[in-house]
Amino acid sequence: MKTTTNIYFKELKRYRNSFIAWSISISLLILMETAFYRFFMKGDILKLMKGFLENPIMKNMVRAFGTNVDMLTNVLGYYATRNAIYIILLGTFFSIMLAGKILALEEREKTAEFLLTKPVTRLEIVWSKLAAFLTYLLLLNVIILSIGFIGLEIFKGDSDYRPVAFLIYSFYSFLLMLTFGAIGLFLSLLIKRGRSITNMLIGVVFGGFFIDVLSKVTVSTDKFGYLSPFKFVDAGVLRPDYSLEWWRVLYFLGLSLVLITLTFVIYKKKDILI
Amino acid sequence: MNVIETKGLTKYYRNDRGIIDLSLKIEAGEIFGFIGPNGAGKSTTIRTLLGLIFPTSGSGRIFGMDIVKQTKEIKKHVGYMPSEVNYYEKMDVCELLGYSANFYHTDCESRIKELAEVFALDLSRKIVDLSRGNRKKISILQSLIHQPRLLILDEPTSGLDPLMQAKFFDILKEENSRGTTIFLSSHTLSEVQKMCRRVGIIKEGKIIAVEDIESLRKKQLRKIQIEFAHPVESNEIKCIGATASQADRNILIFMFSGKMNDLLQALTGKDVKDLIIEEPSLEEIFMHYYSEEEHNEKA
Repeated sequence: MKTTTNIYFKELKRYRNSFIAWSISISLLILMETAFYRFFMKGDILKLMKGFLENPIMKNMVRAFGTNVDMLTNVLGYYATRNAIYIILLGTFFSIMLAGKILALEEREKTAEFLLTKPVTRLEIVWSKLAAFLTYLLLLNVIILSIGFIGLEIFKGDSDYRPVAFLIYSFYSFLLMLTFGAIGLFLSLLIKRGRSITNMLIGVVFGGFFIDVLSKVTVSTDKFGYLSPFKFVDAGVLRPDYSLEWWRVLYFLGLSLVLITLTFVIYKKKDILI
Repeated sequence: MNVIETKGLTKYYRNDRGIIDLSLKIEAGEIFGFIGPNGAGKSTTIRTLLGLIFPTSGSGRIFGMDIVKQTKEIKKHVGYMPSEVNYYEKMDVCELLGYSANFYHTDCESRIKELAEVFALDLSRKIVDLSRGNRKKISILQSLIHQPRLLILDEPTSGLDPLMQAKFFDILKEENSRGTTIFLSSHTLSEVQKMCRRVGIIKEGKIIAVEDIESLRKKQLRKIQIEFAHPVESNEIKCIGATASQADRNILIFMFSGKMNDLLQALTGKDVKDLIIEEPSLEEIFMHYYSEEEHNEKA
């Protein structure tokens, strides 16, 4: 067996259970959320709350979460809103944690002394681990896409949506997860020994999330939001002109590429201290 | 041909000393002992040789290949046993050895079974459930299964019971007779003296001596114990080059490598009750090197 495939399959096996657990949790949440939508719409709860939601304070609150009442009453709008909080956030956690651990745990759990004394180059190690990470990230997104679509179709009722908008939105969330994965991979090499990787990575995701939330509160803080990758996901799925914007795609792919390249460069030269 | 050759190999961890100006030559087929106390730089040397860490300056070659640039090629022919064994806890022994074997493009299965039998290792157990000694056994196996040309062993016997140690040394001798070069690091000389022809002694990051075990013995270093009729000071007969002396009331014990005549002359006129001259153990010779080095530094 080739060196790289040997590591690749071992990594897939190592993180398989964790992947399954995350996939099931996220799938159940998607189904639950879309079912909730049906419940809300049937009881006209959202329509009844419209007055309440449109007073200035509540309006800002709702806007902070990147939405408005019209968004919430449409099935895809609702999905994109709730999705931003649950699915994207969870998916991002999965991605950053897996990427942050896949390389750095070898050093922390001192198994690097085993792996790095085998006939394998540092670059081959990063490649095969990156491949394992990307495999799970892609799989997770295929699952999210399928379950999301099923959920929307089952519970949409008389609300309609453009499937293309759903696809574009899902693609953005995949790119966001990929970018946070790259951030996790890169940061995990910089964190000093004895510090917790997990805490740091959770902090990064929440930090990014809240920067985005705060930036939406007023117009003046809008620019500030671009510090966070979350800002680059376009959740305006109901706009008629909603489409894939290349500058957003370029941002995600560019940032990921830079961070992954840096990871290769750093790991190639890094002293592995056991 | 030299299997391992380093020139001025130096490693600093930021400002902390790892190893300084380490030059070593280890010939093909030899068993080389690498001796020093904890923290002397043994593991740093090994980890630099294996490319886990990079030298600050100097260079090293294994099988004539550069330890930094050709590390992958080198490792195809190296078996390594770390002093502390850390493996993927969730794997079972068989899985781990399979993972290890897959890195080498040779069939290791029969060798795994053979060695597992010798060391009475249960291949189906999970690593997390294994004792330190059993983990050490896995480490022996994974260092040997691909029939390496060079074995680098970092304190290999710690955690092994005497029976297993004996089996382990038998295997090493067998490997060596097939031409495998062995680099054996340890903090106890008595452990390596049975195995090695040459030893390198490392102290505070520097090699202070590389000696043949035989010539170490033949250095005419003698352990001398003299009982006087009166209480003595430790510097009583310092003049003739006695080192590592210690005095206990009437008794003086020291290492002596000078001429016997000088010693006898220095003793003339003194009231000597008893005189014992014996060959020191290698451990004592080793300690002698250390204290001599310290002595020189102070002077």
